[in-house]
Amino acid sequence: MKPARFEYYDPRNLQEALEILHAHPDDGKILAGGQSLMPLLNMRLARPKIIVDINRIEGLNYVKATGTGVAIGANARQRALQTERLIGERLVVLREAGSFIAHPQICSRGTICGSLAHADPAAELPALAVALDAELVATGPNAARAIPAGGFFQSYFTTALQPDEILTEARFPAPPEDMAWSILEVSRRHGDFALVGIVAGLAVERERPVINRARLVYFGVGATPMRVNAAEALLIGQAPGEDAFDAAAQVAGQEIDPSNDIHATAEYRRAVAATLTRRALRAAMEKLKAN
Amino acid sequence: MKIEGRFIFPASIQPVWELLIDPQSLQACTPGCKSLSEIGNDEFEATLEIGVGPIKGTFGGKILMREKNPPFSYSLVVEGSGAVGFVRGEGKLTLEQSEDDKTAVLVAGDAQVGGLIAGVGQRLLEGVAKQMMGQFFRCLQSQLGTRLAKSAG
Repeated sequence: MKPARFEYYDPRNLQEALEILHAHPDDGKILAGGQSLMPLLNMRLARPKIIVDINRIEGLNYVKATGTGVAIGANARQRALQTERLIGERLVVLREAGSFIAHPQICSRGTICGSLAHADPAAELPALAVALDAELVATGPNAARAIPAGGFFQSYFTTALQPDEILTEARFPAPPEDMAWSILEVSRRHGDFALVGIVAGLAVERERPVINRARLVYFGVGATPMRVNAAEALLIGQAPGEDAFDAAAQVAGQEIDPSNDIHATAEYRRAVAATLTRRALRAAMEKLKAN
Repeated sequence: MKIEGRFIFPASIQPVWELLIDPQSLQACTPGCKSLSEIGNDEFEATLEIGVGPIKGTFGGKILMREKNPPFSYSLVVEGSGAVGFVRGEGKLTLEQSEDDKTAVLVAGDAQVGGLIAGVGQRLLEGVAKQMMGQFFRCLQSQLGTRLAKSAG
């Protein structure tokens, strides 16, 4: 298990890293935590000619406040979701998600932006980014652009990032205060990739018990995180409760596009998605009541 | 791994059949196809470079057309191998013309994928196969459009 030959660069500032990438179009790969990239290199499934290690670039390891949300730098580890006070104050669902994302050893090394850029369809962070309307900042040799998460994930391991761009920051706006969130998943072992997962958000009108906003984003069920608008629409205007949750769950189970593999059949995944929908909506509702 | 699909072409059955057995369109539309050369009667040698994000593999292999029943059906047999694993598959393509002068192409196949890629990529194989088949037929659909426009002009 040794990687194929590559050239290794460890630039000390972002500009240098961008120049190296720009000089080697399509041949470069960014190394941050290495929890996805290193196995691919060692198994020789990926054979980039150039590795640009960004760990020694100062000023990219941060979780900071922006307006009402948080901005997470390219070198911030997944562990920060559990340890940073700001996450607990402003984006509780990210903290809850921290318990599903991989095993502790992996979270100590793996980065939040790395997981987003890797775009594994069964990973939690891409689904959270889509559900929470995050913006992903792609910095290129000449400029930076903020890409809405909804348009960032294009297919399996494929994003809107250009070969000479680095995902330097993930911006999560704080969700509206009247909205409650829940993340749930089913996997064979805790910390493994999800067979099916869901990020659900729910808001209920102040004066009467009627759902006025809903978010349902699934992961592990297609090429990218999948927002199911049809199921969301069924919730709007309904009384929050089992009838509405059931209807949304059934439609979600039909709308997603899961595959068969040795771990589970597509049919099983649809059934699990429906069950998780009910549970996640119940959990979100409990949180709304508690507030 | 079962592979199934149904794709509609807005033309009668004969031009769709011709498109589906034309090596040039097959090469142009097969995702990652670097070369396709005829080595015998309905036998082709192909090189494919298949990439899913950073994961890339080169496969060399053979494609055979069998059981040709023009213009209604034929079978494709694909065998390929590379450093990251192998793939073997057989699929039947059936063409059906509907009354409104459209042709449906039905695909029913079975593929085995083995080696490293199947071991670590198991949870992605079917999805990626589905996606590649979709790309293949969407490309053929647009090729058909170009052909029909040319013959009309």
